[in-house]
Amino acid sequence: MIESVLITVVQMIVALLASPFIVGLIRKVKAHLQCRQGPGWLQPYYDLAKLFRKDVVVSTHTSWIFTATPYILFSSTLTAVLLVPIFLSKVPLNFAGDIITVVYLLALGTFFLMLAGLDAGSAFGGMGSSREAIVASLTEPAMILSIFAVGLTAGSTNLSTIVHKTALLQGIVTDPPPHLMALAALFIVTLAETGRVPVDNPATHLELTMIHEAMILEYSGRYLALIEWASALKLLLFLTLISNVFAPWGIATERTPVWMAFGVAVWLVKVSGLAVLIGLIESMFAKLRLFRVTDFLGLAFILSLLAIIFFYILRG
Amino acid sequence: MVGMKDAVSGIQETFGDKIQRVELVRDIPVLSIAKTDLPAVALHIHSAPSLQGTLSLQWAADLRPRLAAYRIYYLFTLDGGAWLILQTDLQGDDRLFPSITPRIQAAKWYEREIRDLFGLVAAGHPDLRRLVRHEHWPKGTHPLKKDFPWNYIMGRQDGEYRFRHIEGEGVFEVPVGPIHAGIIEPGHFRFSVAGEPIMMLEVRHFWKHRGIEKLFENFGLMEGVPLAEKVSGDTAFGHSLCYGQAVESLLGMEIPLRARYLRSLFLELERLHNHIGDVGAICNDAAYSVALAHCGRMKERIMQLNDALTGSRFLRGLNRVGGLSMDLSEDQLNTVVLQINAVEQDFAELSRIIFNNASLTDRLETTGILKERTARDHGVMGVVGRASDIDRDIRRDRPFAAYDRLRFKVPLYRYGDVRARMRVRIDEVGESIDLIRQVRAAMTPGPVTVPVVAAATPGDWALSAVEGWRGEILYFVMAGDDGKIHRCKVRDPSFVIWPAIQFAVLGNIIPDFPLINKSFNLSYAGTDL
Repeated sequence: MIESVLITVVQMIVALLASPFIVGLIRKVKAHLQCRQGPGWLQPYYDLAKLFRKDVVVSTHTSWIFTATPYILFSSTLTAVLLVPIFLSKVPLNFAGDIITVVYLLALGTFFLMLAGLDAGSAFGGMGSSREAIVASLTEPAMILSIFAVGLTAGSTNLSTIVHKTALLQGIVTDPPPHLMALAALFIVTLAETGRVPVDNPATHLELTMIHEAMILEYSGRYLALIEWASALKLLLFLTLISNVFAPWGIATERTPVWMAFGVAVWLVKVSGLAVLIGLIESMFAKLRLFRVTDFLGLAFILSLLAIIFFYILRG
Repeated sequence: MVGMKDAVSGIQETFGDKIQRVELVRDIPVLSIAKTDLPAVALHIHSAPSLQGTLSLQWAADLRPRLAAYRIYYLFTLDGGAWLILQTDLQGDDRLFPSITPRIQAAKWYEREIRDLFGLVAAGHPDLRRLVRHEHWPKGTHPLKKDFPWNYIMGRQDGEYRFRHIEGEGVFEVPVGPIHAGIIEPGHFRFSVAGEPIMMLEVRHFWKHRGIEKLFENFGLMEGVPLAEKVSGDTAFGHSLCYGQAVESLLGMEIPLRARYLRSLFLELERLHNHIGDVGAICNDAAYSVALAHCGRMKERIMQLNDALTGSRFLRGLNRVGGLSMDLSEDQLNTVVLQINAVEQDFAELSRIIFNNASLTDRLETTGILKERTARDHGVMGVVGRASDIDRDIRRDRPFAAYDRLRFKVPLYRYGDVRARMRVRIDEVGESIDLIRQVRAAMTPGPVTVPVVAAATPGDWALSAVEGWRGEILYFVMAGDDGKIHRCKVRDPSFVIWPAIQFAVLGNIIPDFPLINKSFNLSYAGTDL
């Protein structure tokens, strides 16, 4: 019991500490490809610390939704992170919910963020919310289906079971085609859900082009810090899903400290690799036109659907 | 192509006695016309197939104290580049002149500007809202009237600008600016949108009136250059050159050949760093930030070259009436060629990367199309014009500095989209680099400045044009008593192109507006004098 609580706490701390690092790593990669040095490794941490110390400015036109959203978003995202195996294949909280819970915990945060974008009544917030609604409604089915495709082989929707069985290759018949399709789908979903190029541009100052950033334009101080941190956690969560659902090897399958420490190291290497890949993509591609985003996300949905169909075909 | 003499005699034949007087002012034909006849003559010049005149500039001058009259000038650029000026006088207390806007689109902002600054009303103008004077300026304050003191401190009144509205289910207005998230000049954009597509855009500028044209009237003819440099910071050399040329032609000065070559060289350096910067900025607005970083590096290289050569990154303090304030040594000229050769290679590599990037091309193509017809109606020229098939370039059509001795191509594209505007810039970078090499090869030793000997007759005026990196810069300088400036009309190309952007965005979606706006990259300060 105590061991379980301890592991959960460690997982929380690891995720909280690692998430700004991933954000900084993507920025470093981009800076490097632009022949720049870029800000130091600790900059994302300094930014958070600075924002937590700053005063909060809240428009008088807002309701309780505006002030509650950062907390709801942060806690729902953090809870979702605790349901995903990071360094131990069977997370202690795995009884609490499966992949569907994770998806809807994230959706809860997104939902409140969209409401908060509308709440202040500024022109940009409303635009951001309406665009986020399009993106979110299209990514959700693609995300669930792509993980179902893997869940089918493991015979469960529980992330811990999927990861554990895949790591030990227990009863898993790995069919590369459906796996790869589902992987591609989940990667597209990751880019969309975390607001990266080619769907959104996290580095822009152009209000009219923003999606995620437009919703949080009105936020400042610790509220903004919580939202930024939650975004970083969400990015980390998706990268963890990709690496641990599709290639969990190296993750601790038993609760021994050494193996778990090894699991953390392997996991860090994997998510860092994915972060570098995202940095490369952000440097290689321009942002899509807003209305092409739906085609792009449609592609993710079709890929994940095909993955499931292929699963049944290949199994005969 | 139409000869100047044929054009004038053709107009005289058509209108007979209505043309009161024809005179040549420094080779520009000036036709004096009674104000009631003016719209007919203007329309003829605008639409006759043999003339196809574009209204390039319309401005007024308060002729007091020499004459108790206001004079309004209309500058037309005929097919082929020849200039023709119409002028009409408003005597005594007359404050009304007939508007030509209903038939000639290009006049719409000029006539509103004249109303705001002189209190002269264009009768029949379809839109007489204030343009330059925002609503909080008190009634009756028209700063360019001679009886308005330059240091007058105005009060404030309440007032509201009435935006045009589109009403209907699901139609919303999105106000943007004048305060933006990035470091941008102040400008207000009011979009009417149905979902994401833009149904209407209204541009509302002029938030920081500096009174530049009024300030010029405090200066002597020799003293105006530093002020001209401040009109639009990124075009310091283009503006100061244009002002200098106007005064030089007013005083009948011959500029030494070496100074003319150097002026071409600096003007091309200014074009280079701005165009390269713009190409990067356009890509960045499509979230392709790699291009921005590399263009920024090359732009910085040229600006540091500017700094090393002249002590000013923006080429300030170089021009003076009568030539240049400094010469370049052989070593310095060699450095210039060395540096731009390096930039040429660097930029060619980057433009290959840009052209090969399908995702970027997808964003730029068919975005923000400015139709050739719309561009022509608004008198659009410069980079934006050449991307919409408007074949105008002052360097070729009315050569100044040393351009009559240099060879270059004027890039022209038909599509009028963001990509065409970027390609014009990329092509012009190549041409500019070649021009600088030609200048280097052709330059001979000699003086770079001539002393001022003559004085200008009060009331005499000159008009000068420079192809700055955005497009045609125009200066009208009228001499006053004691060597002072009586009137200086400044026209940055941005003033002409801003109204056209309202049409280029129609049917595009809101998130593409920043990209379209960046591909125009107009000056706010150059508009808001």
